[in-house]
Amino acid sequence: MNCEVCQLKELEVEHFEIREVLRCILHTIVFHRALGLVRPKDVDLELFEITYVQCGDVELEKKIDEKIDHFISWVEKHPNKKSQICLSFYEVKSKQPSWFTNKTERLYWEQWYINLNVTQHPKHHSSKSHHTKLVVDPGESATEERSSRRAMVEASLREVLFQIIKFVNEKKDHVPPISEGVIYFPYEITIPSSSDSAFGMDMIKRMLHSGHPTMLS
Amino acid sequence: MEMDRESGKLEQIVSQFRSKILHVILDSRVPSLHHHHHQQQQESLSHSRVRKTDKWFNLVLGDRPPALENLNFSLRNLFDPMVIDIILVHRGSCSSSVDNLYSPSAPAAGPADETVIERWVVQYDCPRFIATPSGADACVSYKKIYKKSIILLRSLYTQMRLLPAYRIFKQLSSLSQTYNFDLVYKVSSFSHPFSREEESGMKEYIFAPVEALSGCLSVSVTYRATLSDFNLEPLVSLPPKIITDYVGSPTTDPMRSFPSSDKGAHATSFPLRGARPPSSSPFQRPHSWSSGFHRGFPSTKTQSLAGSPPVYRTSPKPYDIASPPTDLYGNRIQNQRVSTLQQVTAYDEYKSSPPFSPSASPSTPSYLSGTNPLRTRHCSETAPVTIPLPLTGRSTRYLSPNSSDPSRHSLPPLSPRSSKHDASSQESPSGIRSYRKIEALRAGESPSGLSNNYSAQKVVRDSKDDSGRFSALLSSSGSPRIGFSRSSSRLSFQDDMDDCEFSCPFDVDDVDVSDSSSQNTEGKKASEFTAQSNLVGKKSQDAAVGILVHMLRTAPPLRQDSSCYSTHSLRTEYEGGVSIASGFFMPRKTADALEELNSYREMKDLLLSKSGTRVVRKEEIK
Repeated sequence: MNCEVCQLKELEVEHFEIREVLRCILHTIVFHRALGLVRPKDVDLELFEITYVQCGDVELEKKIDEKIDHFISWVEKHPNKKSQICLSFYEVKSKQPSWFTNKTERLYWEQWYINLNVTQHPKHHSSKSHHTKLVVDPGESATEERSSRRAMVEASLREVLFQIIKFVNEKKDHVPPISEGVIYFPYEITIPSSSDSAFGMDMIKRMLHSGHPTMLS
Repeated sequence: MEMDRESGKLEQIVSQFRSKILHVILDSRVPSLHHHHHQQQQESLSHSRVRKTDKWFNLVLGDRPPALENLNFSLRNLFDPMVIDIILVHRGSCSSSVDNLYSPSAPAAGPADETVIERWVVQYDCPRFIATPSGADACVSYKKIYKKSIILLRSLYTQMRLLPAYRIFKQLSSLSQTYNFDLVYKVSSFSHPFSREEESGMKEYIFAPVEALSGCLSVSVTYRATLSDFNLEPLVSLPPKIITDYVGSPTTDPMRSFPSSDKGAHATSFPLRGARPPSSSPFQRPHSWSSGFHRGFPSTKTQSLAGSPPVYRTSPKPYDIASPPTDLYGNRIQNQRVSTLQQVTAYDEYKSSPPFSPSASPSTPSYLSGTNPLRTRHCSETAPVTIPLPLTGRSTRYLSPNSSDPSRHSLPPLSPRSSKHDASSQESPSGIRSYRKIEALRAGESPSGLSNNYSAQKVVRDSKDDSGRFSALLSSSGSPRIGFSRSSSRLSFQDDMDDCEFSCPFDVDDVDVSDSSSQNTEGKKASEFTAQSNLVGKKSQDAAVGILVHMLRTAPPLRQDSSCYSTHSLRTEYEGGVSIASGFFMPRKTADALEELNSYREMKDLLLSKSGTRVVRKEEIK
């Protein structure tokens, strides 16, 4: 089974937009991969005029929110950095234990990479000088800039969602069969860790678990 | 056979898939169906019930709309495409001629512009070559098809919320606003091609088909990329209108007639003692709290009344006080009833009035306004009955039982007997006379000095009747006594009217002037009072109080009752308001005075008899 990878379009978001954007994207992906009996739940974003769909599982929602909190913490420690969140779906396969691997292995059959560029909104320096003259202008231009920026982010997010739909529709064969009583496939959300090296180790770990053909078993 | 079973399953999948897609589309595009479904979904969520239809494609959507079942039946042929048009209807144009148009919220009348903003096409194409899979492969085949159909449905569900039409749907689904447009749908097995102009603004998205061995299930959508061309603004709703002229509003014109009630009698819910007044009578008192009762009150008085339930203190029946009035109001009772009587006719005109009008209405009853304005003004106020001053040096001065009473200027009416010397004199019961007397008093009261003069005359006359009592009363604070005497007046005045007797528990003196009644015509009593002023001066203070009480009690009833007095006499009273007022100054004959004296005596006897005191008359002694 091959692992389908989807690299989503990079989004340039501000710190306060991270939570909503990540929730929207992650839940949309999971909804397409929660092939068990679900009661869809429409959620309207507050910052953007977008409605996404959740599968309605409370446990799933909690886990996603936890991961988002971790990511936000990481972003606060590493500001103005491009980051990547990986949502992976895997199958659990029992394997003969060896000194390399555990009894069970995860077979990742799909991975989604959410690329975010968290930026800090530049402050206006014009207010320092010519204060009396530009008292009004900075406010107006800032508002306009904010609204245009917000529209851009919304359009980009919409594109990302269309991208997900397109990918989901085009790639269906790799999806494992639906198990009885299982709402959604096992998944994993990977966020950047404290160091890049650790992030790299996570990738190696994943490869070991997935049984990449290049790896020697 | 195996193939037949598999193809049967596949057909079932396709059929259910079409129904499910239609359900998803209608639920996300047609507000009317969405509302119905939402309610059911709430119920189903509360009961955690999953329907059989929900289990298809593992997507719980709730109950299917009834129309959907009909549509499924009409589109049974799976190989016919199912075309679902979402139409934006702008109200104001003619109705659509599209086939199978279902528009629950379509305007009943008027033309409407219709624009297809989305077109969904679900198609199951039969391949040219149908492969015949083996048993195991066939089983896997339809499971895969089913899984893929689930994924397709998921993506369609998500896509529905990303297209521009969803925003319109959300707007229309909002119950807080009303719009001049609506979303309707049309389901058919064929599609009318778009015009070139329409196509230019359309975009198309084709979902990846689900390929099966026996067919290919495909879904595509053609949608308008932008809907900004449409004026999708909510209808301007009228601001909430605050109705200020409701019945009972202090700002309502009391003269205004409200269409809800023909007679003022129907509008009241206050307890009324006795039967309702006859509607034909111009003096009927429809409300216990008649508008006239409060309308003419000065603000101060009305406010004080508003704090208490005077409506229960005044009843349509004369002399029928439900609850004992306070000292402050006590003197008003008699006058209030009289004033209410006066304004009964006017009340019929305005028919309803606030029971507790915080401010006295400036408008007076119409029929009264046409008469003596002074009198009218006086009638609109609650003037308490005042004890007339004796002749000795107090002719120009008023005295009211309660000096703080602003309406203390009125004097008790003359004795009933003097009414025959009135301009409109007739033989009338004492009640009428006392009423006339009060009328005279009222007419005399005005902002000008006329009332003072009038009252002075009255005082003179009254003092002649019972000067002693009045003088004694003048020397006191008055109000406690008055209150006490007022309490005695709580007895049924109707009985008094019937008996025409007078008995005052305080009257221990000569009864000559104790029969002073509150009812009399104004003009005739002047001379009579003058003749009797000396006699009055000799009476005790209590006797004066008794006279006063009797005058109040024997006042004409609020309700026109032919058994008690003549309506005509009262009417003539109103009509000749000025003349009556002026008639008060007419000289009276001795016979009238004697007649009045006798009536007073009778009243006194009545009062005394009721209190258990035997009245010993001079005549008897003699």
